[in-house]
Amino acid sequence: MKNVLLFAFWFLVGLIALFLAIVLGDSGAWYLAWVLGTVMMILIAVTGTVILEVDDQHND
Amino acid sequence: MQELETVIALSRSQFAATALYHYLFVPLTLGLSVLLATMETIYVISGRPVYRQMTQFWSKLFAINFALGVATGLTMEFEFGTNWSTYSHFVGDIFGAPLAIEGLMAFFLESTMVGLMLFGWDKLSRGKHLLVTYMVALGSNLSALWILVANAYMQNPTGAEFNPETMRMELDSFTALFFSHDAQAKFVHTSVAGFVTAAIFVIGISAFYMLRRRHMAVAVRSFRVATLFGVFASIGVICLGDALGFINGEGQPSKLVAMEGLWETAEAPAGFNVVAWPDQESMENRFELQIPYVLTPLVTHTFDGTIVGANDLVSRAETRIRDGIPALVALERLSEDPDDRDALRQFRAHGDNLGHALLVKRYAPDVTQATPAQIEQAARDTIPPVAPVFWSFRIMVAAAFLMLGFLILATIYSLRGQIVDKRWFLKVAPWMIPVPFIANEAGWVVAELGRQPWTVYGQLPTWISASTHSVGYMIFSLVGFVALYTVFIIVEMFLMVKFIRKGPDDGPLPPPTESAVAAPGHTSQWSQA
Repeated sequence: MKNVLLFAFWFLVGLIALFLAIVLGDSGAWYLAWVLGTVMMILIAVTGTVILEVDDQHND
Repeated sequence: MQELETVIALSRSQFAATALYHYLFVPLTLGLSVLLATMETIYVISGRPVYRQMTQFWSKLFAINFALGVATGLTMEFEFGTNWSTYSHFVGDIFGAPLAIEGLMAFFLESTMVGLMLFGWDKLSRGKHLLVTYMVALGSNLSALWILVANAYMQNPTGAEFNPETMRMELDSFTALFFSHDAQAKFVHTSVAGFVTAAIFVIGISAFYMLRRRHMAVAVRSFRVATLFGVFASIGVICLGDALGFINGEGQPSKLVAMEGLWETAEAPAGFNVVAWPDQESMENRFELQIPYVLTPLVTHTFDGTIVGANDLVSRAETRIRDGIPALVALERLSEDPDDRDALRQFRAHGDNLGHALLVKRYAPDVTQATPAQIEQAARDTIPPVAPVFWSFRIMVAAAFLMLGFLILATIYSLRGQIVDKRWFLKVAPWMIPVPFIANEAGWVVAELGRQPWTVYGQLPTWISASTHSVGYMIFSLVGFVALYTVFIIVEMFLMVKFIRKGPDDGPLPPPTESAVAAPGHTSQWSQA
């Protein structure tokens, strides 16, 4: 049940993202760019830091 | 008239002072909130308590900055009513909605969530606390979005129309207001500039710790997160700044000529003035050093575009002033008799240039008697003070490229694991902290001084927008604000230095609480550290 709810939650997030992309992509391209760009910056910082953390552990 | 001019100058000085003070706090709030969310995401994914320590430490500095940012921002909203009552009456319909939403974002979403973020560490699960931190980041940036939507209307008015019956602008399209190109470009540029500010702030303080071999676990990791985050943000802010310049070039050509020190219309390929000494009186540059071919693609995004210079803009303004005078005359007739159909017809024929006619009313109270010299003077007023805008723009751009170079180098050292050994870089990094703040302030000088002589570009001149206070009242309130805000800055600096000296809590790492234990399948090799 928990997995179903989790799936439903992320499915909803995906739908909202699609809706925003369609609406903002047409008239608010810069707003969409901000949403995507900020998410990308966070993801790059998070994954990069985690990868470096693993590297450190291997080196140690 | 002389007293009115003094009151306007004092009103402008007061708003400029409070805005510049306020904007010392805002970018750090915008960027650090997102950076905190990034750090906490790493904590939630990895489960390593050091990232919790890191997030909690930077949260303290965020809280100090946030509190003073809110306190300094409040007065600005009141100033619209107290010092700029004509302006508030003229555009209240348009300004009211974004400012109200901004208030909701800042005081309900952001402030409520800040409390939960600061005090909810042991009361919320990791996931819920992370959600709260993201809400703080979203709230602070959405709060900025609405104030920038309102500001964008002043820069490039869209989505509203002047109603001669009510003598004010009325909103006819909220979507046009919200989705205006100026609002969009200004928001993304401002928000991402905040990201860069926060990244350099974190890098500078982390470098300070590394140089002294203190709090190394938090400092090295904070440095990494901030460099990876900041390097992309600094690339973004330069690209978005170019976009904003391009939009300004279309919507506010007089601001563009001031930014570029461009007096004569330039056919392609035009050269870019790296340095110049603009002379407003003679409308020429006394000295200029150019890079050939660069300006045309930079400003028009083409290789064959023409950039209209200040002299031609003044000629166009003269035509618009002459065309707008009948609209102003018709408006005066309508104020006496709202049913005067001839006056309404006359207003509709010339209403687009009403704002320009208001410029000449400064020199000729009866605009029908305006002399060619007065019209020419009013037309020359449409060019903002070129030298300060020109140099502020260059300071901002130079700072942006300096920060980009700094962040690229920081990223290289960080990725290679060499940063602890690069002592010269660690010594330089804390001195970089003021650079983004200078760039942010310079950017606002370009935006706001470049909009002069208008409060609402092309529609409402600044000289007519202010309240009719006495000079004494304005001096008293200006001195009061400057003194109070200087105290705020001193308090901020004192608290920041105090907490930075203290550093993150180096005590034993907190044991994972029941709610903080990663779910099965999410336990990683770092969660045990």
